[in-house]
Amino acid sequence: MPELQVDLGRGLRLSNPVGLASGTAGFGFELADLVDLDRIGALYTKGTTRMPRAGNPPPRVAETAGGMLNSIGLQNPGVEHVATVYAPLFSQWRCAVIVNVAGATVDEYVQCVRILDGADGIAGYELNISCPNIAHGLDLGRDPGEAARLTAAVRAVTERCIVVKLSPNVSDIGAVAAAVESAGADAISAVNTFVGLKMHRQARRPVLAGSGTGGLSGPAIKPLAVAAVAAVRAAVRIPVIGVGGIIDTGDAVDFIIAGADAVQIGTATFPDPSTAVRIVDGLTEHLAMVGISHLSELRWHPQEPTIGLFAAAGVAPPP
Amino acid sequence: MSTSLRDVRDQRGEVVAVAQLGGGMVEVSARLPHLAGVAKPGQFAQLRCGGSTTPLLRRPFSVAWTEDDVASFVLAPVGVGTRRLAALRPGEPLDALGPLGQGFTVSGATRALCVSGGLGCAPFPLLIRALRRAGTQTVTVVSGAASAARLYPAARFARGDPGVHVEQVTEDGSRGRRGLVTDAVPAHLDGASTAVYACGPTPMMVALARILQGSPAPPIAQVSLEAPMGCGYGTCLGCALPVRGADGQAWTLCCREGPVMDVETVDWDELMTLPPAHVA
Ligand SMILES: Cc1cc2nc3c(=O)[nH]c(=O)nc-3n(C[C@H](O)[C@H](O)[C@H](O)COP(=O)(O)OP(=O)(O)OC[C@H]3O[C@@H](n4cnc5c(N)ncnc54)[C@H](O)[C@@H]3O)c2cc1C
Ligand SMILES: Cc1cc2nc3c(=O)[nH]c(=O)nc-3n(C[C@H](O)[C@H](O)[C@H](O)COP(=O)(O)O)c2cc1C
Ligand code: FES
Repeated sequence: MPELQVDLGRGLRLSNPVGLASGTAGFGFELADLVDLDRIGALYTKGTTRMPRAGNPPPRVAETAGGMLNSIGLQNPGVEHVATVYAPLFSQWRCAVIVNVAGATVDEYVQCVRILDGADGIAGYELNISCPNIAHGLDLGRDPGEAARLTAAVRAVTERCIVVKLSPNVSDIGAVAAAVESAGADAISAVNTFVGLKMHRQARRPVLAGSGTGGLSGPAIKPLAVAAVAAVRAAVRIPVIGVGGIIDTGDAVDFIIAGADAVQIGTATFPDPSTAVRIVDGLTEHLAMVGISHLSELRWHPQEPTIGLFAAAGVAPPP
Repeated sequence: MSTSLRDVRDQRGEVVAVAQLGGGMVEVSARLPHLAGVAKPGQFAQLRCGGSTTPLLRRPFSVAWTEDDVASFVLAPVGVGTRRLAALRPGEPLDALGPLGQGFTVSGATRALCVSGGLGCAPFPLLIRALRRAGTQTVTVVSGAASAARLYPAARFARGDPGVHVEQVTEDGSRGRRGLVTDAVPAHLDGASTAVYACGPTPMMVALARILQGSPAPPIAQVSLEAPMGCGYGTCLGCALPVRGADGQAWTLCCREGPVMDVETVDWDELMTLPPAHVA
């Protein structure tokens, strides 16, 4: 029987590598009737901030070729509500619930994690240092030094697993990854959405409100996200969680080959809530099909010499 | 904390009929036993051509009619998703996730007025049937469109029920009264005995809300609103609509707290400032 368990560090073992990405699964209860939360490995909650946020004015979402733009503006009820009202619900599902935390300053992240640390049922934190939809949301994630300062400050206040979620909207994602690893991150998730802009032709202005930019997600970003994961994998030793455009098992396998230890399903859950559970089953079948017992055996090691397909399969090439 | 989605299923149906209604409008009927069995008037389903991931997101449509294990939807090709749905043929698969959202409040008001603008006709056949079953004596529909070709056929509102009266209004005067559908509304308002329901473009709904503000309050005054949707089931937070909250303006989710809302809860001034959902 193939082994799907994944160790994210600090004692956080996921039953399988498939998670629901932040912002596409609420706090669990919203879609618990539609997705079997006992079958997935982890649920990463909607971004949680120190104070409640009402979110951005509409329109907040717009479809694009093979993807969508969103500018939700981190609508959430605030960390106190999450710690006292939502967290007690988390243990009813077998998946690990990892609370995604966002803020504008290091202090806001630290305060959020302090408050959440007092609540049971939380398996770990995903620090979103990469939200493109709030003012200053990217600043902490763009600079490796700032990202490390943030990670170290949160590390100092919690023993729970810390996942740092990176932005792809940076010039050297590997440098940010290496910085947060040395500052004490247990794992890295990559990537958040790419900054995009869709125009309203009649109105001659952006479709989305405010500045008009939003975060691009969905299949359109998959090759970009796979490249980001490969770059992160080359820069760190800790577990990497791949996210961006996964809609089927093959997509998840691509991320694992590129160096991911686990994956998150985001946008694909919207049209098809059963996507993540289908991929859990699909990964088991995939391992059986290729005849290996652990996903990590799929990984590409760029430094190793290329083995021809025939040699890899142990057969002689045709004459 | 949240509306239960316990009744929601993702079913693959088979298209059994596609009726061309003129002006590009079609009524697509598919065998969807679950939806047909539990959908309430005003609720919607997220549709896509069976198994297709292009376009990526599903499209929301009101449940227009149910009969045994068949559910019907009324739509017109206005963009990539509706073009594909309008081209469906009998025998082809149709995926429906639903029923979703809050429907209309159906009570035994003596009379009901349904204000329908363009494709806003969609939820009314099912609502009218429910109203009549609940004891409403007469249902009047004022049905408006740009021109005669775009009017939903009057007989489809009534579906043979003699207690339903349809008054047509066209902007160009090509059928019925010339003008805006809301011009025909005041004559039918009589305060406490007539419930008012509306679905149509935002400017129509805003005009209706203004008319209702200056009239004796109806027992029920509800509108079905639209917002671009990511999921349709309360998770993406994409479908915000402006409402009058306890402390000023607030956002609510069209897919979960709507699409049907009480007229007085909507922040109409704010809604009018928003760009239309449709982007060609
Ligand atoms: C609750 C609800 C019920 C609806 N019921 C009906 C119905 O019964 N009959 C009918 O003809 N139409 C209905 N609509 C509108 C219908 O969903 C849109 O016309 C459709 O999504 C357009 O898709 P498209 O790909 O053809 O257009 P495009 O413009 O190519 O779509 C691009 C994106 O914008 C979104 N969008 C475009 N127009 C609208 C709109 N008016 N409302 C919300 N999102 C939009 C699309 O879903 C898509 O994500 C309803 C909308 C909502 C929210
Ligand atoms: C509507 C929406 C809301 C999101 N909200 C958040 C969020 O609050 N915090 C976060 O870290 N990422 C958020 N994301 C990003 C996703 O978690 C994910 O990184 C991204 O969508 C790429 O994956 P996908 O292509 O599978 O959707 C959001 C994405 C979408 C589509
Ligand atoms: S459409 Fe996703 S929350 Fe309403």
